[in-house]
Amino acid sequence: MAILTTEHLAPDSGELKAINDLGAPPLLTPGKDRTPMIAISNMSKKFGNVTAVDAISFEVLEGEIFGLVGLNGAGKTTTMLILSSLLNPTSGSASVCGYDVMKEKDSVRRSIGFVFEEEAVDIYLTGRQNLDFAARMYSLSRQEREQMVASVLKTVGLEQHANSKVRNYSGGMLRRLEIARGMLTSPRVLLLDEPTIGLDVQTRRYVWDYIRRTNREMGVTALLATSYLDEADYLCNRIAILHEGRIIATGTPEALKASIGENLIIFKLSKGSPEQFAGLLQDMPWTKSLESRGNGTFALSLKDKSIGIPQIVRMARTHGFGISFIQSSMPSLNDVLLHYTEKGTKGA
Amino acid sequence: METKTVKQKPLFEGEPIYSMWLRELLRFIAMPSRILATFASPFTWLVLLGVPLSQVFPTGDIQSMFGGLTFFAFIVPGVLSMGLLFGGTNSGVTVLWDKEFGFLKEVMVAPVRRTSLMIGRSLGALTIALIQAVVTIAVALVLGIWLGFRIISIAGFILAVCFMIITFFAFVGFGLTLGAMIEETEGFMTIIRMIEFPMFFLSGALLPLNMIEGIPVLYQLQFINPLTYGVDGIRGFLTGANFLPLWLDITVIVAFALLFLFLGAYKFSRMEVD
Repeated sequence: MAILTTEHLAPDSGELKAINDLGAPPLLTPGKDRTPMIAISNMSKKFGNVTAVDAISFEVLEGEIFGLVGLNGAGKTTTMLILSSLLNPTSGSASVCGYDVMKEKDSVRRSIGFVFEEEAVDIYLTGRQNLDFAARMYSLSRQEREQMVASVLKTVGLEQHANSKVRNYSGGMLRRLEIARGMLTSPRVLLLDEPTIGLDVQTRRYVWDYIRRTNREMGVTALLATSYLDEADYLCNRIAILHEGRIIATGTPEALKASIGENLIIFKLSKGSPEQFAGLLQDMPWTKSLESRGNGTFALSLKDKSIGIPQIVRMARTHGFGISFIQSSMPSLNDVLLHYTEKGTKGA
Repeated sequence: METKTVKQKPLFEGEPIYSMWLRELLRFIAMPSRILATFASPFTWLVLLGVPLSQVFPTGDIQSMFGGLTFFAFIVPGVLSMGLLFGGTNSGVTVLWDKEFGFLKEVMVAPVRRTSLMIGRSLGALTIALIQAVVTIAVALVLGIWLGFRIISIAGFILAVCFMIITFFAFVGFGLTLGAMIEETEGFMTIIRMIEFPMFFLSGALLPLNMIEGIPVLYQLQFINPLTYGVDGIRGFLTGANFLPLWLDITVIVAFALLFLFLGAYKFSRMEVD
């Protein structure tokens, strides 16, 4: 959406701060005690001179699917690794299920399941062996272990292939196995780092639905790091946009989309003077901005959500103008990400 | 939120250690090339080096030079110690490598001690190294019918195996420490080889220690090389032809093992944080 200039997209205050925490997250189970399962406060991580994560703060509530969205190198994986207790933050604090990631590593590890971005299964072993080994790390009884492995194999639909070597698995099967490993111990918090990278459309949808199902049925809280906006849009209750190690916007996908101009109407005038009609629109209190794209075509950004196509058409008709084409355009999360990251880069 | 019982971590994590051990073995079995290499290596050294060179050093007067052994019998402990040096160092190095490349991440997120993972893997590598050692001894015993190699006693054999285990762990620690010290991964194996081969050649594995008495520096270097004591100990227990006192061999190898395992474990546990 190249026509969206920073100027007319800026929220009323003109400050980025104002768009943080847009709207409350939708309550999935009203009345349930929604405690933060993940809490990050002013957390930074430096590798030498490079600041990978720069004083970020956010909370993920119980039962939420929270998206950590950003371009490559934004600091998503670093944040995930800190939450899994594999990395220590340089400053600030982070906790999972109330356990400090630096001081209570064991309790953190017992509470989480992690699906890694890169392959983390052993291709020389079978699917069942891989899960069995992962389960052994938790020192359970043989019966508990076998039951757990059989149950996750069933959930991800890999029972048929459980005894073949992982090197013969397709990309989708591999991913399902990784997710099965992450879900093995029925963790309360699931950390998913780019869970559908390199998958085809069908398998992605399958993985998404599985994540959703575990969230709904088992109440698993999920933190999803992704650079795919459609994924975040489909799955997440709330998202945080991470850019160059900083969180530049937080909110529900809808609120974030609205913040960059949800109400954008594009139309073409077929009768009457474009200049006159433009003048008319600019005097309206609900007009945020109006841009002429030439040849009688305009892009109109509206402040007021209640104004839409019918009002514009009616207004044109009563003033003797004619409209040959009119379309309401909803920005995608991609537009949101590009909008904020461009801004973030400029500001940096 | 249901209440969470805080499980105390057991001092000895049997299941994870066993699992890491089993995994090493299953991986070994799953790779035919590795099995082949394990069995081919003793043949290469004993048949292609030992047999021809036995002709250069014929039995007879010269035997006194090799402590009363034939040349073939002399190098059997040398070949065994080489397997321990390479196998042990590699095992130590790859523990750190796996961390770098993410294979171990899946177990790292489990509530298990890092040292348990390390012990399990090292035990797996030890098992493979011992299988190789037994194959080497078997091949040597068969060829030894003609080339004069035999084990002095069952007790000597058992003691030799125990000594080999300590030697192996000494080099696991050595590998761990090296792996932690060398930062870059490119050309890493070349550097390891550059350290391993001089250690092997200056250990008395192929030639008696006193044979190069006239060459300064090289001669002295042999005595600061820990592998020298490993080779001499194995040779002593298997054939009775040790050059140094056995108590010295044992002391040096045990001290070396303790020092480097401690250093390696320290480096390893520190690396877990970042």
